Amino acid sequence: MSEDAGAVVPGGDSPATPLEPPGESEAPTSSQAQRLRCTVDGWEYFRIWIVNVALTLLTLGIYSAWAKVRARRFFYGNIWLGDDTFDYTANPIAILRGRILVATVLVLLWFAQILSLWYYYSILLLLMPLVPWVVVRARSFQMRNSRYRSIAFDFQGRYRDAAVWYPLSWAASVATLGLARPFTVFGRDRFLVSQSSFGNKPFGFVGKPGPYYGMYVITAVVLGVLYFGGVLALILVLAVRAVASGSDPETSTPDMGAFLLGALAIGGLAVLFIAAYLRTRLLCYRWSSSQLGDTEFLLDLSFPTMLWLYASNAVAIAATFGLFIPFARIRVLRYVVGEFRVFRRGDPNAFEAGDRQRIGATGAEAAGEFGLEIGI
Amino acid sequence: MKAIACRYYDGDSSRQRPGTLEITGRGQLVIDCEGLEERLVYRDVRIPNRIADTPRFIHLPDGAVCEVRDNDTLDELSTSLQPGAPEPRSERFGRFVHRLDSTWRGAAAALTVTAAILYSFTRWGTPAVADLAVAATPMEVESLVGDNGLNLLRQTRILEASELGPDRRNDLLAVFESMKREAGVEHADLQFYSFGAPNAFALPGGTVVITDELVALAEHDEEIIAVLAHELGHVDGRHVIRSVAQRSSLLALWTAVTGDVSVAALSVLGPDQLIAQSYSRSFERAADEFAADYLFRAGIPPSRLGDILERLERVSGTGNFPTWLSSHPAATERARKAAERTGRSAEPDE
Repeated sequence: MSEDAGAVVPGGDSPATPLEPPGESEAPTSSQAQRLRCTVDGWEYFRIWIVNVALTLLTLGIYSAWAKVRARRFFYGNIWLGDDTFDYTANPIAILRGRILVATVLVLLWFAQILSLWYYYSILLLLMPLVPWVVVRARSFQMRNSRYRSIAFDFQGRYRDAAVWYPLSWAASVATLGLARPFTVFGRDRFLVSQSSFGNKPFGFVGKPGPYYGMYVITAVVLGVLYFGGVLALILVLAVRAVASGSDPETSTPDMGAFLLGALAIGGLAVLFIAAYLRTRLLCYRWSSSQLGDTEFLLDLSFPTMLWLYASNAVAIAATFGLFIPFARIRVLRYVVGEFRVFRRGDPNAFEAGDRQRIGATGAEAAGEFGLEIGI
Repeated sequence: MKAIACRYYDGDSSRQRPGTLEITGRGQLVIDCEGLEERLVYRDVRIPNRIADTPRFIHLPDGAVCEVRDNDTLDELSTSLQPGAPEPRSERFGRFVHRLDSTWRGAAAALTVTAAILYSFTRWGTPAVADLAVAATPMEVESLVGDNGLNLLRQTRILEASELGPDRRNDLLAVFESMKREAGVEHADLQFYSFGAPNAFALPGGTVVITDELVALAEHDEEIIAVLAHELGHVDGRHVIRSVAQRSSLLALWTAVTGDVSVAALSVLGPDQLIAQSYSRSFERAADEFAADYLFRAGIPPSRLGDILERLERVSGTGNFPTWLSSHPAATERARKAAERTGRSAEPDE
């Protein structure tokens, strides 16, 4: 499920797309689009990041919950819609509780996997009924702790629906050899968006399954060409090189080192394509198909730009032993946020105080929660 | 009394009221906007930690929210107007973190600490974790893991029944028995399989597998003994358990540093992988040394190991694999080391 980890869930955990659920616009005229603005400074984030890393290491990981909240608040406070930023209100203790729970499960799985794959898969199977619960908890935690102009977002998805769009639809994807996959992703998006709300206003989803099939077909074709064509080209190059070097093809052995390096490169390209094309298109389509009352959204990211951002980020991160990570995140964030447009139809004068808090959506209710933040 | 500009939300609507916020000498927080005045005990209000120069949203007990953008003045107010009351510890810590990450000196300190921790952890931490894991893992568990692995390899037909004759097998088993005693690795056992390529490996729990193809590749039985001695080195050092422990602790470290897997996945080959490979190479060297010592004591020229390794490399064509990407040291290097060791071991004082 790598292609939809984090990024596809609005406000998911992936820093590559820390796009927040959009809020109400203050469009001066009804026809005008308003862009989100991102005022993050790369060096400023670098300092926050490195201090977070150091404190996390010094506290054996415990500080990571506070680090997470600090980084999030920094991003939210630098994303502007009109004259206001977003506000992230999560309690680090809740996140710590959630992380301890997740770490416990991972350690359990790790031991099981060392002992025997049977244990490992049995535990995975036993965990399946928990998946919908985790999905609902994670998303509502995320949404309830996001605010714009003091109004909180919310998510009221039910366990039943989450069970359909997570574990059951995975089974359906496998059973149909992936043919049902685009439809299940569509259903999942519709579930996540249409059960969300901003204050007392629900989000709506107007997407159709067709475009999902288009995206997945293109991905399948490109990956197919990449794998088969790539391996074929690799074999050809190696053969030509072997002949050119004058060795007898009957007795000499293939150059395994070069072959493995080539295979690694092909795998890397595949990962890059999925991130720059599939994940990006899914994100764009989901936002562009979302509505909030009179407000519509448009996110249109260009494939070449995303490809360039991801590829150059990967090279720069490797070349700087990871020190470029904060700048890599900022580059993607700036581009994605800057392309996000909000349209407001209807009465342009209703903006000023038009949004109401949902009764009981705030404060104490979320206090005792597990801050689960997994992108499934 | 200094007042700061603020924006007040009543907690029910997105309507924004401009106003002022001040903290009185009596420890009261007074919000005054458009004639609406709210007085609160300052200590009941949690002012969020400052992050760079982002707006701060003060969530009031009644659900109202007060947004302040003038961070410097707010800091000045909230620090200078503490009427002797002790600050909550979290606020003091938040101020400390802000001092760190808003200055270059703080960031440099964090970078130094991070580099020092990462270096010492990879240098001394992971081997220590490995020692702990070896001490904490009972032999029964290790055998269970090894048996499970071997069963999986057999069920998936990666390993197939050996086609070596029973005489040849018994000869090699007899050699192995005496090797075990001499090397002091009593719990090892030897199994033969057909694999399609020359190979030998040690499983957790002490099972050593040698493939028919490797037996055929050897030009001298002493070469087989050299390979078996190398594998006994892995068994003796419990290298599989060590390797699992080291890789897992590295993975945990890598996750702590990046805090995220998607960026790491994009860099295809994370530094953790490279470090893990170098650990694995150090295991190979340790097993080589174990083998060289054994061969020397048994009166077999340790160059036998180098001979068969070089032949193995020629057959499997891994010779051009860059060292930093490979889990095994290059055979030429190992042959040289073995030769060096022979020279040193041959000194009379050994």
